Amino acid sequence: MQLEKFTYDNKIVRDFGIATIVWGIIGMLVGLLVATQLFSPSMNLGNQYTTFGRIRPLHTNAVIFAFVGNAIFMGVYYSLQRLLKARMFSNALSKIHFWGWQLIIVSAVITLPLGITSSHEYAELEWPIDIAITLIWVVFGINMFGTIIKRRERHLYVAIWFYIATFVTIAVLHIVNSFQLPISFLKSYYVFAGVQDALVQWWYGHNAVAFFLTTPYLGMMYYFLPKMANRPVYSYKLSILHFWSLIFIYIWAGPHHLLYTSLPGWAQSLGVAFSIMLIAPSWGGMINGLLTLRGAWDKVREDVTLKFMVVALTAYGMATFEGPMLSLKQINGVAHFTDWIVAHVHVGALGWNGFLTFGVLYWLIPRIYKTELFSKKLASFHFWIGTLGILFYAIPMYWAGFTQGLMWKEFTDEGLLKYANFLTTTLQIIPMHILRSIGGALYLIGAIAMTYNLAKTMLKGKLVANEAAEAMPLEKEITNEDPADKKWHRILERKPMKFMVISMIVILIGGMVEMMPTFTIESNVPTIASVKPYSPLELEGRDLYIKEGCVNCHSQTIRPFRSETERYGEYSKAGEFVYDHPFLWGSKRTGPDLHRIGGKYSNAWHYNHMLDPTSMSPGSIMPSYPWLITQKLDISMTEAKIRAMQTLGVPYRENFDAVAQAKLKEQAETIAADLKQNNIDVKSDREIIALIAYLQRMGTDIKANKTTIPSNQ
Amino acid sequence: MFKQIKDLAGGEFYLIASLLIFMVFFIMVGVYLIKMNKAHIAEMSNLPINEPQTADGYEEV
Ligand code: HEM
Ligand code: HEM
Repeated sequence: MQLEKFTYDNKIVRDFGIATIVWGIIGMLVGLLVATQLFSPSMNLGNQYTTFGRIRPLHTNAVIFAFVGNAIFMGVYYSLQRLLKARMFSNALSKIHFWGWQLIIVSAVITLPLGITSSHEYAELEWPIDIAITLIWVVFGINMFGTIIKRRERHLYVAIWFYIATFVTIAVLHIVNSFQLPISFLKSYYVFAGVQDALVQWWYGHNAVAFFLTTPYLGMMYYFLPKMANRPVYSYKLSILHFWSLIFIYIWAGPHHLLYTSLPGWAQSLGVAFSIMLIAPSWGGMINGLLTLRGAWDKVREDVTLKFMVVALTAYGMATFEGPMLSLKQINGVAHFTDWIVAHVHVGALGWNGFLTFGVLYWLIPRIYKTELFSKKLASFHFWIGTLGILFYAIPMYWAGFTQGLMWKEFTDEGLLKYANFLTTTLQIIPMHILRSIGGALYLIGAIAMTYNLAKTMLKGKLVANEAAEAMPLEKEITNEDPADKKWHRILERKPMKFMVISMIVILIGGMVEMMPTFTIESNVPTIASVKPYSPLELEGRDLYIKEGCVNCHSQTIRPFRSETERYGEYSKAGEFVYDHPFLWGSKRTGPDLHRIGGKYSNAWHYNHMLDPTSMSPGSIMPSYPWLITQKLDISMTEAKIRAMQTLGVPYRENFDAVAQAKLKEQAETIAADLKQNNIDVKSDREIIALIAYLQRMGTDIKANKTTIPSNQ
Repeated sequence: MFKQIKDLAGGEFYLIASLLIFMVFFIMVGVYLIKMNKAHIAEMSNLPINEPQTADGYEEV
């Protein structure tokens, strides 16, 4: 047999690398803007396109799908070719993948500020973009499997298993969490409602963390760390054990985002149990990484790329220790809805994802440009200022989280809430938010220094677009097979398709055990007779609530604690959400819960509050929404919305769509007339009227039989 | 700590069944690992390091 000559495609790696850097800077800039909005409402810039509610999803989408996403593709395209001794399957598919992905990101940058959103966290993009994502993901899959099929190395190294598991699982998650009924080109409703919608969303949301922020990065760690340290991974057996346990267990953990909500108790317990177990495979990965460096710590001291890797692994270890703790109900009861979760997120995001990305960039760019890094000093500066940035981000957020979480729960000796006014707890943590944005700025400065350093490196060298290599081809038939080769794992290492199917089965088990009973057994979502569908005006108001991204700061789920029922009212029941397509429970309480806001204040209060929140709540950091008063409510789709809801099983009476407009106007007139009585002159066809209608309806259906409602403040 | 995964009012079935499924799966992986052959492990873990030399060998920078 003869050595075959071929080339590696470095250009595609470089392109994804540049995209990583550019989107990383943009995403973090938006993060910084969002961070300043939380202590200075003027940073909402006085127009609807840059308010917190619309811009926060832009931050999360940009950093997760653009920064981390492009970094994954960069790492996969570099390592896959080398591990398989083959060029990527198709140059054309590589190009389509690259440009398609960038286009998807651009469409996110356009639609999110316009308020075009599905409201599911980390899945905000509307249905046409969802379809585009599916197509491009399939292109990526074909390109990857094509390369695997024409490989010149028989065995698939563990990094590639992580890539395959990532590909399969993200495909499954994305498709199931995109079951939407389109109403127009840029508007749709989720097929599931309430509790079921919540379960699907957090099965997706948690595993987006697991299979987008974790498994591909572990794959990259298993390739790049041994390369950088020039020694094999500490224990290959451990990598197998932790791979299978990780993908099996991760998929069950979603319900830890829904503790103390109206999700059935057994599903919450499953989430808790598997989250606690998750610490073992996660630490297995971290330890395997750190021990790979045993005996090479002198290298770490000199080599900045290794320093980035060590901090990345340490941050991974911290986030995956903290995560299981946060899943314990007692701890989650305090941490949920507070900045504690934001701290947890960013230890993982800035430390693990950010630093591993930087390490790989510093290692890889000089290699494909056949030169040395422009400045080691500057890279070292990046390392230190970045580490400082993480500390300045995380510590204040932990502080703010503990402080606010405990203040919400504190009672006086007389048995009253000590901080009955929610705003007091917000104002208490403002200094922490200022410190956090300093942390973010430090981290961003580091990233900018890296950009300069890498740009200089690129200018200094010359891209080896097609890197020559040679290897023996694979024999087609293996004649005298070693008996050990018949072991199932060695078969898996050679049969990528079987491997993919088995990993798919492994990740489907958990989701099915949790979802099927919740969807089919009625007792899991007990219905409440007094809960009725929204009126057309309320439905339109609800869509405005989605459009403005109110859900990014306000929860709609009251947990069964005395501190919450005292503050907000009756705790939330599963049966109250059966017409909520989508659910809007939220995951962060920057402002108070709104589930029982209905009927608590007058229409005039809401009008004034939306126009200028500080007029009603002095010191409030909520942005003002003057355009709701000037903009006409778009009712061109009201009938279609009613029909769509009927299709989804909401029991409007037959032909209700025909009278929907009339009903809507009638209710709007009533609200406008009431406002007029309070000397507020506003036309009944404005957006604010619909939003008020929705706010006044919220959570009232079961209040009907209650006489007194505890204060909400 | 264990209270939250006990007392499930009828939900125990899901929990016990799920943990059993995992146990079986974990034992399968464990058995496989024990039976794995040393030379093969060494070969696998050296895959990223023993890459084919690129034509001009600058990998060694
Ligand atoms: C300069 C750096 C960054 C700054 C200043 C920043 C700031 C912020 C802020 C202010 C929020 C909103 C928190 C809230 O609602 O209270 C946020 C959320 C978030 N950020 Fe960042 N961020 C940065 C970098 C990143 C990176 C690199 C990633 C991911 C790789 C990331 C992922 C997220 C996620 C997932 C959330 C949502 C958290 C949740 O829902 O609990 N961020 N960030
Ligand atoms: C063993 C591993 C982990 C477990 C068990 C875990 C557990 C948790 C828990 C319990 C929450 C809080 C849910 C809530 O109360 O709202 C959470 C939130 C979150 N975690 Fe983790 N975590 C783990 C690792 C990680 C890592 C490594 C990252 C990032 C790279 C990460 C990113 C996030 C994000 C983005 C959220 C916020 C979701 C949201 O509310 O929007 N987690 N995690």
